[in-house]
Amino acid sequence: MVLPLSLLRTAQNHPMLVELKNGETYNGHLQSCDSWMNIHLRDVIFTSKDGDRFFKMAEVYIRGSTVKYLRIPDQVVDLVKQEVAEVRRQQKDAQKQRKQMSRGGGRGGGPGRGAPRGGGGGPPRGGGRGGGH
Amino acid sequence: MELPHPYLPGAISLLDQLDKRLIVVLRDGRKLVGCLRSIDQFANLILDEVVERTFFDKYYSDIRQGFLLIRGENVVLAGEIDETVDTGLTKISVEEMNRMEEERNERQRKIEQRKTAISAKGKLKEADMDDAY
Amino acid sequence: MAPPEKDDGGRKKKESIVDLSRFIDKKVRVKFQGGREAMGVLKGYDALLNLVLDNAVEYLRESTDSEKIGEETRSLGLIVGRGTAITIIAPADGVEQIANPFANPDE
Repeated sequence: MVLPLSLLRTAQNHPMLVELKNGETYNGHLQSCDSWMNIHLRDVIFTSKDGDRFFKMAEVYIRGSTVKYLRIPDQVVDLVKQEVAEVRRQQKDAQKQRKQMSRGGGRGGGPGRGAPRGGGGGPPRGGGRGGGH
Repeated sequence: MELPHPYLPGAISLLDQLDKRLIVVLRDGRKLVGCLRSIDQFANLILDEVVERTFFDKYYSDIRQGFLLIRGENVVLAGEIDETVDTGLTKISVEEMNRMEEERNERQRKIEQRKTAISAKGKLKEADMDDAY
Repeated sequence: MAPPEKDDGGRKKKESIVDLSRFIDKKVRVKFQGGREAMGVLKGYDALLNLVLDNAVEYLRESTDSEKIGEETRSLGLIVGRGTAITIIAPADGVEQIANPFANPDE
């Protein structure tokens, strides 16, 4: 299970629809978001409450507390699922590698050896984004 | 009804409903039906395979919404539903629903027009009160 | 109260996800809780998203429909927009009304 806000973070750089409590909708690419659900969209199409007026906007910052819901396209959901699976796999691998390294380090006994992580050995982590689940 | 054990109070009591089909009523009155995929301490919900269900008389229709992340504070009610139970309601197409709603709006418009016409005259006349009432 | 910030010594503070310095001296459109809308030249801001707008105008509601906001404005001059009341911030540059881009019904 992916927590709602983690999913939102993973959906960065993907298109989505944000509906506000007042009924306005913003279609755009999620540039960034934070733990308050504040949202920064790029290449936005804004639709008025009654759906009769449409505006193009370069970018929009939306306060999280005004959001009603976010609609995420199915293709993006699939992509995000893959990304989450990939990150999990990498984390598992890294864990395995760490275990092996600490076993090796234990026998070698040299102080400081094996203490700093991620310097050598470990597989490349996925760019930082979507980590830390 | 027995409470599940251990019972998780508050929003996370919905964890028991993971991957079940729920009806979610929003503060704006909309009713959504979808599969609960995730939840957090704010009752932010992730719903998959969502439809928005509109009701009219003994009929209902579903509009596909896809994948939604709903901000918890907009949720009035979330409850598991068993769609195999006969509710006595008949499912109709979205077009049919739109047509019925349009007819109702038209009727209401006429009533409003008549009301303003009556108040413009300053008094109610028996002849104005025809079969609409 | 301010959002919980990291110690201002070593690690970086919890910053806004949008860099408002890019909008300084540019026109920005702001929407407030309750439905008011304003536009002005951004002169300053803080971490709580309080904004200072110069030559600000408020967009008035239409007389026929108080829900809707029209093109009519009134001048407000130099104002501070309270961060907690702000719902939307957008640069006014490149905003244009377009025809319904979702016209293709895909039901």
